Amino acid sequence: MKNSSGKSALAAVLASTGLLLAALAGPALAQARPAEQLDVLDEPGRVPTAEEEQLPPQYQRQVVFFRTNEAPGTIVVDSSQRFMYLVAGNGRAIRYGIRVGRDGFRWSGLQKITRKQEWPDWRPPPEMIERQPYLPRFMAGGPGNPMGARAMYLGATVYRIHGTNQPQTIGSAVSSGCFGMLNSDVSDLYDRVNVGTKVVVYQTAPL
Amino acid sequence: MAHRFLRTLALASLGVVAQFGAAQAQATLSAVKARGSLICGVSQGLAGFSQADATGKWSGFDVDFCRAIAAAIFDDPNKVTFKPLSADARFDALKKGEIDVLSRNSTWTMGREAALGLKFAAVTYYDGQGFLVPREPAVMSPLELSDVKVCTQSGTTNKDNAKDFLGANNVKHEIVEVGSPDDMVKAYQDGRCNALTADSSQLHALQIRLAKPGAAVILPDVISKEPLGPAVRQDDPQWFEIVKWTHFAMLGAEELGVSTKTLPAALASAKPDVKRLVGTEGALGETVGLTKDWAVRIVRAVGNYGESFERNVGTFSNLGIPRGMNQLWSRGGIQYAPPVR
Repeated sequence: MKNSSGKSALAAVLASTGLLLAALAGPALAQARPAEQLDVLDEPGRVPTAEEEQLPPQYQRQVVFFRTNEAPGTIVVDSSQRFMYLVAGNGRAIRYGIRVGRDGFRWSGLQKITRKQEWPDWRPPPEMIERQPYLPRFMAGGPGNPMGARAMYLGATVYRIHGTNQPQTIGSAVSSGCFGMLNSDVSDLYDRVNVGTKVVVYQTAPL
Repeated sequence: MAHRFLRTLALASLGVVAQFGAAQAQATLSAVKARGSLICGVSQGLAGFSQADATGKWSGFDVDFCRAIAAAIFDDPNKVTFKPLSADARFDALKKGEIDVLSRNSTWTMGREAALGLKFAAVTYYDGQGFLVPREPAVMSPLELSDVKVCTQSGTTNKDNAKDFLGANNVKHEIVEVGSPDDMVKAYQDGRCNALTADSSQLHALQIRLAKPGAAVILPDVISKEPLGPAVRQDDPQWFEIVKWTHFAMLGAEELGVSTKTLPAALASAKPDVKRLVGTEGALGETVGLTKDWAVRIVRAVGNYGESFERNVGTFSNLGIPRGMNQLWSRGGIQYAPPVR
């Protein structure tokens, strides 16, 4: 269905975004888990409905015009707009809607993806157990898990790009600094990037 | 002698022109102030850009721009008289002085500026010819299409643009010409074509008329340049500055985070860029015949550029046009304003 030039362009995009390399990433890197970074509003066990997973149009995954000096395959996060871009080259990017850190928990800077995890487990930190003693000490990865379908760890920070069981929070600022995505979106991104992917996080300077 | 006489005459007439120009320099702003309202040429009705409701109240992206100018002058966005103009009548109306500014989704071209004696003050909206295709199979670019039947509206430049682009890039295609926008929608739904091409803003208007808008996408690529913006007469440099900097103030406000919601914080800001824009430092507005707080008046009335875009044609409108090229230069787009300083 695709003509030759289109096919090679697409292959270039896929290769550069690491789809081919993702298979090589295979076994997760053995390294100490950073402390869990949790959202105050987390609801373990909650399974989102299909309706909730239908995001408002602007937060749905889409290809957009995106002019940048960042190389194809780079992830660019614009916290103030609640968008995450995966640079595709040729002035294009795949844009995802995200939820970001609440006031005082947003950050900016340059990181790399240091680890990838499918259906990550969840271990509420002591502060959260103290506030909500009924929470499980450990929750295995799965559909009701607040970490969602995939997690990508950012550098040595406590921050991650992960899925969510609360898709209705996408577009808002509620997290403790993590970037939350629709499970289908985080899985899409997961398949396109590799450990080592550059992640640039922008944040608008305050007035 | 005759020669010298002619030269004197020529010099004299040059002087007259120069004097006339100087006299005109203050003319538009004074005339607008004396009249108590701005006369703004708009379209006869184009969703998202300029349209009047049942009560005659105008709204839209192009309308907001005129309201912004009125706000800068009068601190009142309602002191505008909107004059709907056809595509044929628009430039004449401006030249004859029937309107003060033309804000009517008009493409800035050399021919229009030079031959018609106009000046385009800014590009408020970067449009361009794009493609609407089915969401599935997913493609990122029109180059990935093949054996595609593309519908275009006959009598437009879109057909040739599409032919050139698809031909030059070896995309196997067939162009299907149809008569009207209605026919475009019908032809696509009837399967007579599996792609539409038109200016991107028009494609968004067509998309929402499809039975299943969500089953189609508009690709981000554009294959032609249609920079839309407001035009003024050439003979009034001060008025030109006012119109131009109205756009730049709206862009600058967005870039600095100054919006209808953050105005109080902006007025209390200690940041030099913000202070110059809102007039708590310096008096740049006065250099173009306005007031210190001209930009505050604009933002209070219509919001910053992003607010006006999203409200009229973007996220909060029926059209849902993504910012795309009209995003700020610092956020992946090409909208760039010189600094207010």
